[in-house]
Amino acid sequence: MVNENGVLYTIEGVAAGVLMITTAYLVVSTTVMFTPGDSHIIDMQLEQLGNDVLASMDTPIRYGDPSPLELYITDNDSSGFSNHFLLYANTAAQPGFGRIKFNSTVYYRKDADVGSYHFSDSGDIMTGREHMVNVNRRVFVKDYTNPPPPGPDDRPQSVLLEVTLWRD
Amino acid sequence: MGLIISVSIFLLAIIVNQSMLVGQTTSESVLDFPKAEIQDIRNEVFRYRSAEVDPDPIQADIETLTLYRKSALVDISNTSERLTIHYNNGVTYYHEVIQI
Repeated sequence: MVNENGVLYTIEGVAAGVLMITTAYLVVSTTVMFTPGDSHIIDMQLEQLGNDVLASMDTPIRYGDPSPLELYITDNDSSGFSNHFLLYANTAAQPGFGRIKFNSTVYYRKDADVGSYHFSDSGDIMTGREHMVNVNRRVFVKDYTNPPPPGPDDRPQSVLLEVTLWRD
Repeated sequence: MGLIISVSIFLLAIIVNQSMLVGQTTSESVLDFPKAEIQDIRNEVFRYRSAEVDPDPIQADIETLTLYRKSALVDISNTSERLTIHYNNGVTYYHEVIQI
């Protein structure tokens, strides 16, 4: 005698299996949750690194001295800044891979206008496809002896150094 | 039995949804908070004060550049016994009075 008992048991078994697998998946996936915010952690790390590097470069070696960053801007020493910045930023010893690249601009106030000039870069061409972050530091410059023309006024002032950072 | 399992799966799904939302808002508020900006402005104010130069043009520098490049309002006022720093970027409002 053939009836549908076997078919019903099979359907019940499959349904129970699907339910168990779904539950197990939900339980396991809650422990390794990738929230939308997690994708920004890498940005935050790079931003923090850039801010820390600029802050330590803007710290005078002795009390009352100008900071190294102030001296680089005063003398318009872009290669000195580039070497110093890359030395501090690339602490992991992995030559050629995952290195940090940057491009920087100085903004200054001249009367009511804001002017800018290109300060320093790591020698890499920006393609616009990099995932970059922007950090900045206000630098107090006491003697602007060698400003690039048409540059800022020759007076004690505060300029804004903006650095765009990216990793390849 | 099936009903209990369905309800529990439904509850688990709600919890998963909530955790997505919590992660989003928490990381947004962390990202939005201009920690480095405020530290930078404070540091700069102390720097030019210790350099003993005329503070007015330097305060104008900081205020103009921050408004122009960072879209934030800064107002620094400087008297002989106190120093106040206002910072407002539309999301975060920061106000500090430093007694000297």
